[in-house]
Amino acid sequence: MNDFTIIWKNLFRKKLRTTLMLIAIFVAFFLYGMLASVGQAFDSPGSSDDKNRMVTLNKINFTQFLPISYYDRVARVKGVTQASHSNWFGAFFQDNKNVIVSFAVDPPTYLAIYKEFDMPDAERKAFLGDRTGLAVGRAVADKYGWKVGQTVPISSNIFSQKNGSHSWDFKIDAIFDNSKVKGRDGLMIFHYDYYNETVSFGRDNIGLIVFSTETPAINDAVAKNIDAMFANSPYETSTDTAEAFSKSFIAQLGNIKLIISLVVGAAFVTILLIVGNTMVMAIRERTREIGVFKTLGFSGQRIFTQIVAEALLLSLLGGLLGLSCAVPALLLINKISAGAISGLTVQPIVFVKGLGWMVFLGLVTAALPAWSAMRLNIVTALGRK
Amino acid sequence: MANTLRQISAITRINIKSIPQRFWMSLSTIVAIALVVGVLLGFLAMGNGFKKTLSSSGTKDVAILLRDGSDSEINSVVMREQTQLIEEAPGVARVNGKALVSAELYVVVDGKRRTNGIKANMPLRGLDSTGFALRPGVTFSKGRLFRPGTNEVIVGSGLVREFSGFDLGQTIRFGTSTWTIVGVFDAGGSVYESEIWGDVSVVQSQFKRLNSYQSIRAKLASPDQLAALKAYVDKDQRLKLETRSEADYFAAQAKQSSDLISNLGWPLAIIMTFGAVAGALNTMYSSVSVRTAEIGTLRAIGFGGFPTFVGTLIEAVILAAIGAVLGSVVIWLFVNGLSTSSLGGSFTQVVFTFSLTPRIITTAILLALLIGFIGGFFPALRAARQPIAAMVNE
Repeated sequence: MNDFTIIWKNLFRKKLRTTLMLIAIFVAFFLYGMLASVGQAFDSPGSSDDKNRMVTLNKINFTQFLPISYYDRVARVKGVTQASHSNWFGAFFQDNKNVIVSFAVDPPTYLAIYKEFDMPDAERKAFLGDRTGLAVGRAVADKYGWKVGQTVPISSNIFSQKNGSHSWDFKIDAIFDNSKVKGRDGLMIFHYDYYNETVSFGRDNIGLIVFSTETPAINDAVAKNIDAMFANSPYETSTDTAEAFSKSFIAQLGNIKLIISLVVGAAFVTILLIVGNTMVMAIRERTREIGVFKTLGFSGQRIFTQIVAEALLLSLLGGLLGLSCAVPALLLINKISAGAISGLTVQPIVFVKGLGWMVFLGLVTAALPAWSAMRLNIVTALGRK
Repeated sequence: MANTLRQISAITRINIKSIPQRFWMSLSTIVAIALVVGVLLGFLAMGNGFKKTLSSSGTKDVAILLRDGSDSEINSVVMREQTQLIEEAPGVARVNGKALVSAELYVVVDGKRRTNGIKANMPLRGLDSTGFALRPGVTFSKGRLFRPGTNEVIVGSGLVREFSGFDLGQTIRFGTSTWTIVGVFDAGGSVYESEIWGDVSVVQSQFKRLNSYQSIRAKLASPDQLAALKAYVDKDQRLKLETRSEADYFAAQAKQSSDLISNLGWPLAIIMTFGAVAGALNTMYSSVSVRTAEIGTLRAIGFGGFPTFVGTLIEAVILAAIGAVLGSVVIWLFVNGLSTSSLGGSFTQVVFTFSLTPRIITTAILLALLIGFIGGFFPALRAARQPIAAMVNE
């Protein structure tokens, strides 16, 4: 009979009580796993963006357009290695509740910048050569059950065709994954030329210009040059890294980080109280036993370690189970929402921090009972009922 | 019967009086339940506040016309010719022969959040005096109305509260144009308090949209004239507009956003409920366990199993009730009335305040009592069912 057997037997001597504590810990870490991942996804929406990827927008606001002529001028700026452009399409499929993130882009240059949009070579070739072609992210294709080769009508809640229709027919040429951040593929792209020739208003306008610089070190200088170039022109610009743009875009929703911290904090305080109190009570019940152990020659330190190990075991069991269950739960949410929150998976950092919290919970809840058990006097222990 | 009641009341009193002996354990249950209640109330108050702001924004006797297929003003475009057709439409109210029709421009500009300085979308609405006639609730808390034909704007009080750079007298730049803020207005807590308003023709020329608008608002002769206007619009091939009452337009937007918030709040609260139930069960089982000898003694001197059961159940429900009250009071004091903002249907910030209602509080309290009931039920069953002899010997 080694120490671990003692710890294990102690932990499960009152099965119901331990199960209840495990449930409470499970719930807290399940919540933590989900919410921290959501927070992570919101906090780093641009995590798949290269550090030298930048965007130029209309200075008034990103919903205001830029003329397409600005694209050529940005492409020629010193330090810009590759430029492209995109335009928000306001797409939905069949019902206007089925909103799909989608952009009218210049595919060859766009895919040269967004190298993480990974598709088979044959599909890429087909998409680049097909004016009415559509490249669909995996999450979107999965949600609507779309296959390569299919033709789908995509409507816009902003634009209409010259013939009065709000809907464009596209042929799905390619389905892509995000090779950098798994799951960050809830979007679709198509040819700007097709859109621009058929749209009834807003011709030759684009939403934003995206480009790569030679190195992140010159980002600021390039941004300054571009914005200076367009200063006092009819459309002044604002240039920043793609990462910064995504961040400010997400921040529009509100202080999600604060809300998440509050909810997770509430869940952790709850288990800290429940488990902490139960541990105190459980060890108190064992007073006589601990006295017997000490009589048999167990050192106070050894008993201290046993109790700490018991609490750690408890919080790790419940916590790891909870964190693990957050993984399929997030997958499910991702599937239902077709990647609405892009990049929603339990990131390694969430796991690592979670482990840290489990250890913290174990140590804090064990501290008081372990300390008093260590200090316990044998005579008092055997005398107490 | 009377005897049973007396027994219940005696046992309940004993249980409650002995709660201080199990102080920390009971407190942890109270706090766990208070936290569940707090989280649920926080989300519901947020959803309700958002909804209240949007749904107080529209009236039934104003119709809003948007380009067919677009759900919000930002996505819509209407042309001057279409506006003229609406001015001749049936059902539209007229004063001295002039139709009360307001064609409005709605463009998005940048503002900065006061709390963190991060950019956010603000709506700049271009409108004329008819636009004001359609919104009788607007009053100035500071300054005055913009003069037509100038780069003067007025701003809603909610926007000033949450975003910096919009105080009276300040100038703001949108691209190449510079504007002066000459007034701050209230609009009955509606979504208009989150907007910037300027003269429609100036906004049109500065934003290079000489012939186009985003929306048309038309005052109806009476709310039931909506159908007549709609029939007229649907028949005319040149219009291709969707006609709704302003009340319906905002109600749809309100539902969308507040549903989203509630859809987030409820699952979180329910997941936390499982944790709290586990905690409450734990507390009550140990409460029963430490009182085993006492319960056995009571049973031995003639107390029934049922009063023992009810007494334990009541103890749990009382702990839950304390938790519910604690959670509600904290949210009431520190969260209710807080001002915040989030993206609304037109992709611009809507400023609103957290707003509790008696119904929301009742819902949360019922959830707490349910936690207490489940948490007390099974331990109470155990208390009532244990053999007396075994208990007394503990």
